[in-house]
Amino acid sequence: MWNQDKSLNLSILLVRVLFVLIIILALCVPIMVRWYDIVSPDRTGLISGSVFWPLSICLYLSAICGEVCLYHLYKLLKNIKNDIVFKTENCKHLRYISWCCLLVAIPFGIFGFWRFLGFFVAFAAAFFGLVLRVLKNVFVRAVEIQEENDYTI
Amino acid sequence: MPIIVNLDVMMAKRKISSGDLAKKIEITPANLSILKTGKAKAIRFSTLEKLCEVLDCQPADILEFRKEDSHADEI
Repeated sequence: MWNQDKSLNLSILLVRVLFVLIIILALCVPIMVRWYDIVSPDRTGLISGSVFWPLSICLYLSAICGEVCLYHLYKLLKNIKNDIVFKTENCKHLRYISWCCLLVAIPFGIFGFWRFLGFFVAFAAAFFGLVLRVLKNVFVRAVEIQEENDYTI
Repeated sequence: MPIIVNLDVMMAKRKISSGDLAKKIEITPANLSILKTGKAKAIRFSTLEKLCEVLDCQPADILEFRKEDSHADEI
Protein backbone atom coordinates (compact mmCIF):
# COMPACT_ATOMS: atom_id res chain seq x y z
CA MET A 1 0.00 0.00 0.00
CA TRP A 2 1.34 3.41 -1.03
CA ASN A 3 1.66 5.84 1.87
CA GLN A 4 3.32 9.12 2.84
CA ASP A 5 6.45 7.42 4.22
CA LYS A 6 7.05 5.54 0.97
CA SER A 7 6.52 8.75 -1.02
CA LEU A 8 9.08 10.52 1.16
CA ASN A 9 11.55 7.64 0.79
CA LEU A 10 11.09 7.75 -2.98
CA SER A 11 11.84 11.50 -2.98
CA ILE A 12 15.00 10.92 -0.91
CA LEU A 13 16.06 8.14 -3.28
CA LEU A 14 15.48 10.35 -6.33
CA VAL A 15 17.52 13.15 -4.76
CA ARG A 16 20.38 10.71 -4.14
CA VAL A 17 20.18 9.35 -7.71
CA LEU A 18 20.16 12.87 -9.13
CA PHE A 19 23.14 13.82 -6.94
CA VAL A 20 25.20 10.99 -8.47
CA LEU A 21 23.81 11.69 -11.96
CA ILE A 22 24.95 15.32 -11.83
CA ILE A 23 28.48 14.21 -10.89
CA ILE A 24 28.52 11.76 -13.83
CA LEU A 25 27.13 14.41 -16.20
CA ALA A 26 29.70 16.92 -14.95
CA LEU A 27 32.44 14.47 -15.89
CA CYS A 28 30.90 14.17 -19.36
CA VAL A 29 30.63 17.94 -19.90
CA PRO A 30 33.56 18.20 -22.39
CA ILE A 31 32.08 15.43 -24.57
CA MET A 32 28.54 16.88 -24.45
CA VAL A 33 29.71 20.42 -25.16
CA ARG A 34 31.90 19.32 -28.06
CA TRP A 35 28.93 17.47 -29.54
CA TYR A 36 26.65 20.49 -29.02
CA ASP A 37 29.23 22.76 -30.60
CA ILE A 38 29.09 20.64 -33.76
CA VAL A 39 25.33 20.17 -34.01
CA SER A 40 24.10 23.64 -32.93
CA PRO A 41 23.75 26.23 -35.70
CA ASP A 42 26.31 29.00 -35.36
CA ARG A 43 24.05 31.98 -36.07
CA THR A 44 21.58 31.64 -33.23
CA GLY A 45 23.13 34.27 -30.99
CA LEU A 46 24.68 37.70 -30.95
CA ILE A 47 28.21 36.31 -30.58
CA SER A 48 29.25 33.75 -33.15
CA GLY A 49 31.95 31.11 -32.85
CA SER A 50 32.62 28.13 -30.67
CA VAL A 51 30.57 27.73 -27.48
CA PHE A 52 32.96 25.24 -25.91
CA TRP A 53 34.26 27.46 -23.10
CA PRO A 54 31.13 29.52 -22.39
CA LEU A 55 28.89 26.45 -22.26
CA SER A 56 31.44 24.41 -20.28
CA ILE A 57 31.74 27.15 -17.63
CA CYS A 58 27.94 27.46 -17.59
CA LEU A 59 27.41 23.75 -17.09
CA TYR A 60 30.10 23.42 -14.40
CA LEU A 61 28.65 26.36 -12.43
CA SER A 62 25.17 24.88 -12.83
CA ALA A 63 26.44 21.50 -11.64
CA ILE A 64 27.86 23.11 -8.47
CA CYS A 65 24.59 24.97 -7.85
CA GLY A 66 22.66 21.78 -8.60
CA GLU A 67 24.66 19.80 -6.05
CA VAL A 68 24.19 22.49 -3.40
CA CYS A 69 20.47 22.51 -4.23
CA LEU A 70 20.22 18.75 -3.89
CA TYR A 71 22.14 18.77 -0.61
CA HIS A 72 19.65 21.23 0.88
CA LEU A 73 16.73 19.33 -0.64
CA TYR A 74 18.06 16.16 0.99
CA LYS A 75 18.35 17.90 4.36
CA LEU A 76 14.82 19.27 3.94
CA LEU A 77 13.40 15.85 3.17
CA LYS A 78 15.27 14.31 6.11
CA ASN A 79 13.77 16.97 8.42
CA ILE A 80 10.28 16.30 7.07
CA LYS A 81 10.85 12.58 7.64
CA ASN A 82 11.79 13.34 11.26
CA ASP A 83 8.60 15.42 11.69
CA ILE A 84 10.55 18.69 11.75
CA VAL A 85 8.46 20.62 9.24
CA PHE A 86 7.66 24.21 10.09
CA LYS A 87 11.04 25.17 11.55
CA THR A 88 13.42 28.03 10.80
CA GLU A 89 16.03 25.51 9.60
CA ASN A 90 13.76 24.44 6.72
CA CYS A 91 13.24 28.07 5.69
CA LYS A 92 17.02 28.37 5.47
CA HIS A 93 17.19 25.29 3.20
CA LEU A 94 14.46 26.68 0.95
CA ARG A 95 16.25 30.03 0.79
CA TYR A 96 19.50 28.34 -0.31
CA ILE A 97 17.67 26.30 -2.96
CA SER A 98 15.98 29.43 -4.28
CA TRP A 99 19.29 31.33 -4.42
CA CYS A 100 20.95 28.43 -6.24
CA CYS A 101 18.24 28.53 -8.92
CA LEU A 102 18.65 32.28 -9.28
CA LEU A 103 22.44 31.88 -9.50
CA VAL A 104 22.09 29.34 -12.31
CA ALA A 105 20.16 31.98 -14.27
CA ILE A 106 23.22 34.30 -14.36
CA PRO A 107 25.67 32.13 -16.37
CA PHE A 108 22.91 30.93 -18.67
CA GLY A 109 21.77 34.52 -19.15
CA ILE A 110 25.30 35.35 -20.30
CA PHE A 111 25.43 32.21 -22.45
CA GLY A 112 22.30 33.50 -24.18
CA PHE A 113 24.52 35.91 -26.12
CA TRP A 114 26.17 32.92 -27.80
CA ARG A 115 23.00 30.90 -28.23
CA PHE A 116 19.54 32.39 -27.61
CA LEU A 117 18.52 29.09 -26.02
CA GLY A 118 20.50 30.20 -22.96
CA PHE A 119 17.97 32.96 -22.29
CA PHE A 120 15.16 30.42 -22.06
CA VAL A 121 17.11 28.28 -19.58
CA ALA A 122 18.01 31.41 -17.59
CA PHE A 123 14.37 32.49 -17.54
CA ALA A 124 13.21 29.03 -16.43
CA ALA A 125 15.83 28.92 -13.64
CA ALA A 126 14.99 32.45 -12.47
CA PHE A 127 11.27 31.70 -12.55
CA PHE A 128 11.76 28.51 -10.54
CA GLY A 129 13.96 30.39 -8.06
CA LEU A 130 11.27 33.02 -7.67
CA VAL A 131 8.56 30.42 -7.06
CA LEU A 132 10.77 28.83 -4.39
CA ARG A 133 11.37 32.24 -2.85
CA VAL A 134 7.63 32.80 -2.53
CA LEU A 135 7.32 29.30 -1.05
CA LYS A 136 10.04 30.22 1.44
CA ASN A 137 8.11 33.37 2.41
CA VAL A 138 5.00 31.25 3.00
CA PHE A 139 7.12 28.86 5.07
CA VAL A 140 8.48 31.71 7.23
CA ARG A 141 4.89 32.78 8.00
CA ALA A 142 3.93 29.17 8.70
CA VAL A 143 6.83 28.90 11.16
CA GLU A 144 5.53 31.99 12.99
CA ILE A 145 2.02 30.52 13.17
CA GLN A 146 3.42 27.16 14.30
CA GLU A 147 5.46 28.83 17.06
CA GLU A 148 2.43 30.83 18.17
CA ASN A 149 0.43 27.61 18.27
CA ASP A 150 3.21 25.80 20.19
CA TYR A 151 3.32 28.56 22.78
CA THR A 152 -0.44 28.76 23.25
CA ILE A 153 -1.20 26.93 26.45
CA MET B 1 6.06 41.42 26.90
CA PRO B 2 3.90 43.77 29.03
CA ILE B 3 1.68 40.90 30.24
CA ILE B 4 3.24 39.32 33.30
CA VAL B 5 2.21 35.84 34.41
CA ASN B 6 2.18 35.67 38.21
CA LEU B 7 1.43 32.00 38.31
CA ASP B 8 4.36 31.12 40.57
CA VAL B 9 3.16 33.68 43.14
CA MET B 10 -0.33 32.19 43.20
CA MET B 11 1.11 28.68 43.38
CA ALA B 12 3.23 29.67 46.38
CA LYS B 13 0.18 31.23 48.05
CA ARG B 14 -1.88 28.08 47.51
CA LYS B 15 1.13 25.86 48.33
CA ILE B 16 0.76 23.70 45.25
CA SER B 17 3.58 22.11 43.30
CA SER B 18 4.01 22.38 39.52
CA GLY B 19 3.46 18.68 39.06
CA ASP B 20 0.20 18.71 41.02
CA LEU B 21 -1.08 21.79 39.24
CA ALA B 22 -0.20 20.38 35.82
CA LYS B 23 -2.05 17.19 36.67
CA LYS B 24 -5.11 19.05 37.99
CA ILE B 25 -5.47 21.39 35.01
CA GLU B 26 -4.60 18.56 32.59
CA ILE B 27 -1.62 20.08 30.84
CA THR B 28 1.93 18.77 30.58
CA PRO B 29 4.56 19.99 33.08
CA ALA B 30 6.52 21.34 30.09
CA ASN B 31 3.58 23.52 29.04
CA LEU B 32 3.11 24.71 32.62
CA SER B 33 6.76 25.65 32.69
CA ILE B 34 6.33 27.69 29.48
CA LEU B 35 3.43 29.47 31.15
CA LYS B 36 5.34 30.10 34.38
CA THR B 37 8.46 31.43 32.71
CA GLY B 38 6.47 33.87 30.58
CA LYS B 39 7.46 32.24 27.28
CA ALA B 40 3.81 31.59 26.35
CA LYS B 41 2.39 33.71 23.52
CA ALA B 42 -1.26 33.08 24.38
CA ILE B 43 -3.43 31.34 26.93
CA ARG B 44 -6.66 29.52 26.14
CA PHE B 45 -9.79 30.51 28.07
CA SER B 46 -10.22 26.84 29.00
CA THR B 47 -6.73 26.75 30.58
CA LEU B 48 -7.34 30.02 32.39
CA GLU B 49 -10.68 28.72 33.63
CA LYS B 50 -9.06 25.57 35.03
CA LEU B 51 -6.24 27.56 36.62
CA CYS B 52 -8.70 29.90 38.34
CA GLU B 53 -10.78 26.95 39.50
CA VAL B 54 -7.85 24.99 40.93
CA LEU B 55 -6.06 27.99 42.45
CA ASP B 56 -9.36 29.53 43.58
CA CYS B 57 -8.54 32.96 42.21
CA GLN B 58 -9.46 35.49 39.52
CA PRO B 59 -7.71 35.86 36.13
CA ALA B 60 -6.31 39.18 37.34
CA ASP B 61 -4.49 37.34 40.13
CA ILE B 62 -2.57 35.37 37.52
CA LEU B 63 -2.18 37.91 34.72
CA GLU B 64 -0.90 41.43 35.13
CA PHE B 65 -0.39 44.26 32.65
CA ARG B 66 2.77 46.27 33.19
CA LYS B 67 3.80 49.06 30.83
CA GLU B 68 7.17 48.48 29.19
CA ASP B 69 9.87 50.95 30.10
CA SER B 70 10.67 52.69 26.78
CA HIS B 71 13.94 54.07 28.16
CA ALA B 72 15.23 50.66 29.16
CA ASP B 73 16.77 50.01 25.73
CA GLU B 74 18.46 53.41 25.63
CA ILE B 75 20.32 52.73 28.87
